[in-house]
Amino acid sequence: MFIRHEFIERNAFLLLILTLITIAIGGIVEVIPLFTIETTVEHVKGVRPYSPLEQRGRDIYVREGCYLCHSQQIRALRDEVERYGHFSLAAESMYDHPFQWGSKRIGPDLARVGGKYSSEWHYAHLINAQSVVPESLMPHYAFLADTPLETADIEARLRTLRAIGVPYTDDDIANAAADMATQASPNADNAELLKRYPKAITVPGDGRVVTEMDALVAYLQVLGTMVDFADPANENLQQ
Amino acid sequence: MDIEPSDLIIGLMMIAFGLIGLLLAAGAWDNEMYVFGLSLSGFAAVFVLGLIRRHFDKQAARGRHG
Amino acid sequence: MADAAVPTAARTPDYNEDVVRKFVIASVFWGVVAFLVGVYIATELAWPQFNLGLSFINFGRLRPVHTSAAIFAFGGSALLGTSFYVVQRTCRARLFGGEALANFVFWGYQFFIVMAALSYVMGFSQSQEYAEPQWHIDLWLTIVWGAYAVIFIGTLMKREEPHIYVANWFYLAFILTIAVLHIGNNLALPISVFSADAYQVAAGVQNAMIQWWYGHNAVGFFLTAGFLGMMYYFIPKAANRPVYSYRLSIVHFWSLIFLYIWAGPHHLHWTALPDWTQTLGMAFSVMLWMPSWGGMINGLMTLSGAWDKLRTDPALRFSVTAVGFYGIATFEGPVMSIRDVNALSHYTDWTIGHVHSGALGWVAFISFGALYYLVPVLWHRSGMYSTRLISWHYWIATLGIVFYISSMWVAGIMQGLMWRAYDQFGFLQYSFAESVVAVHPYYVIRMIGGLLFLTGALMMAYNMIRTVRGPTAARDTAPPLLATVAGE
Repeated sequence: MFIRHEFIERNAFLLLILTLITIAIGGIVEVIPLFTIETTVEHVKGVRPYSPLEQRGRDIYVREGCYLCHSQQIRALRDEVERYGHFSLAAESMYDHPFQWGSKRIGPDLARVGGKYSSEWHYAHLINAQSVVPESLMPHYAFLADTPLETADIEARLRTLRAIGVPYTDDDIANAAADMATQASPNADNAELLKRYPKAITVPGDGRVVTEMDALVAYLQVLGTMVDFADPANENLQQ
Repeated sequence: MDIEPSDLIIGLMMIAFGLIGLLLAAGAWDNEMYVFGLSLSGFAAVFVLGLIRRHFDKQAARGRHG
Repeated sequence: MADAAVPTAARTPDYNEDVVRKFVIASVFWGVVAFLVGVYIATELAWPQFNLGLSFINFGRLRPVHTSAAIFAFGGSALLGTSFYVVQRTCRARLFGGEALANFVFWGYQFFIVMAALSYVMGFSQSQEYAEPQWHIDLWLTIVWGAYAVIFIGTLMKREEPHIYVANWFYLAFILTIAVLHIGNNLALPISVFSADAYQVAAGVQNAMIQWWYGHNAVGFFLTAGFLGMMYYFIPKAANRPVYSYRLSIVHFWSLIFLYIWAGPHHLHWTALPDWTQTLGMAFSVMLWMPSWGGMINGLMTLSGAWDKLRTDPALRFSVTAVGFYGIATFEGPVMSIRDVNALSHYTDWTIGHVHSGALGWVAFISFGALYYLVPVLWHRSGMYSTRLISWHYWIATLGIVFYISSMWVAGIMQGLMWRAYDQFGFLQYSFAESVVAVHPYYVIRMIGGLLFLTGALMMAYNMIRTVRGPTAARDTAPPLLATVAGE
């Protein structure tokens, strides 16, 4: 056997090929079936694509590194379910490009933070976390309230997401800019918005300029709210 | 002029990157792409100048001892 | 072929040492930067006022600067530099591709580092851990990495020494696997070629698996296989002994590179990742203990017959201690991969403690050992400016590591226990905020540990600068008195 290994050591190309084959196997076995086994993403009702404002809020959450301190994945452990709510389903992040499950909790898990706090609380917390939670280690994100949201690229963003599997319709894309403005204006008529994106929460923006903070709060307020766990149709989910 | 093949290939590649950088910066949608494009062009320019400098330094050294 | 009668020094090819020198300088520089940023973010966690309300230096934007600087800038420069040094000498061939290609890899890699850090601070990140740069920077790295692979593989192919030395198997596996992982985890569709923003092609649970297939193997191949390559050259060289066991190196090499890839799911225990995947990840992570300790044994036992050198050669002390920490970290890892242990440890600071015992104890220490060996050789000095300073560095850094990991162990286990504690009425006993308050003292201790580690690195930088600027003493570039490794 060791005579044969010497043979590999004298042949750079063979060493290269054998190495490549060896390291490919684990990835193939663990990754590919997650795409082909249909029930990996549970069959559950309620999960929908993010509204344009929520998606932009998500983009901000991603770029600011919020996942570094906050997880978005409630584990199937008794104390965790009691603290945060129903354990997270794969289906609930099926439109999350990229996923934000996180790997560290310097702050609490946010998988079901939607609806737990008022939007005003979120604004106060983002501007100065210690003002509402004195023990908090969170930095201040007041600059988000001072930054107008870039809106010109929203169609390009939704088209890109559609290309990678998020089912936005032409109607959704055509109304994207209007939907963003509507969702940040408390006095606007949001009937159309809710038809396209059920349970979308309107945030108390100033109605004139949509800020990055408006988007982020809209995103936070939808987290974990899409699936109705009281609905018997959503029981007994098997992967 | 006797140019090392390595120098020529890398030099041409860097010129291409320099142009790409300018194109990206020119059409940039955000600050990041603008900064990246300009930086890439600047880096490519300095690198190509460096290749040229080394070529002539080597030529001069050969001339002195050749 | 190789004529054993001719003295080595007379037939030494003209090695490209210029690019190695550049990488050595870069590694020391980025090490100081990485540790400094680490100390700063540790300070932000101990006292959040240090975020200063500024977007570009807050924890969320600076943490990837720290991780990228530590892994890719510091670690990467050390790996690229030492791999170029080792492959030339063990193949007895000058680097393939000419000076221009080597300089492109060096400067192109530095450009990648600077652009990545700048992008994080400007508020651009794709939030894949250890793969945060956006698509355009990823594409640039792919080109640079391709050039690096061409140089390394090309040099192997033009070698004068028929046998490929073991260090090169590890370096090769590192280069190839990182290329595969990088491409696999960075598949993203930009919203426009003129925009830095892109969306990851995979989503949710599949993206999670791909990220941790990548993330764990960034550890397994960048931080382990690559540095094992370093170990397999610099420990035998400094100890003037052959590697302990050829047979062990074969067995542990192939089993390590095979098993490591499967370990990713241990980052996703109890999550929405399917049970079968979690179980595979756990089983293979536990099995991984064996080839890892195979490497540790091979490294440590190489000192057999030369243990006294640990008293006299503090640089070797770094390398050997590194192997010890490697053993600790590769035992702790499999333990933490067990689902029921992970139920406690996941999301806590225990994970951070584990990472840093590996990063500081293994990766940084083995790099220090190699750098202290290389600087006198590359700049033709008879030795480092001050051996005492190396010893001081060693003890201060080790103390720093001990403070770091013990504070994080205590903090992490405490968090895990507090989060799952019930009071006598059957309610959760602690609010999340209470666990944050409880770990504060340990965050301060951790910051102090990091500060000590940074201090040691600054001593190293000073020592190296004095060495390089000091008087040149007579020293052969390929010292004939030391053991030749693989016919160099």
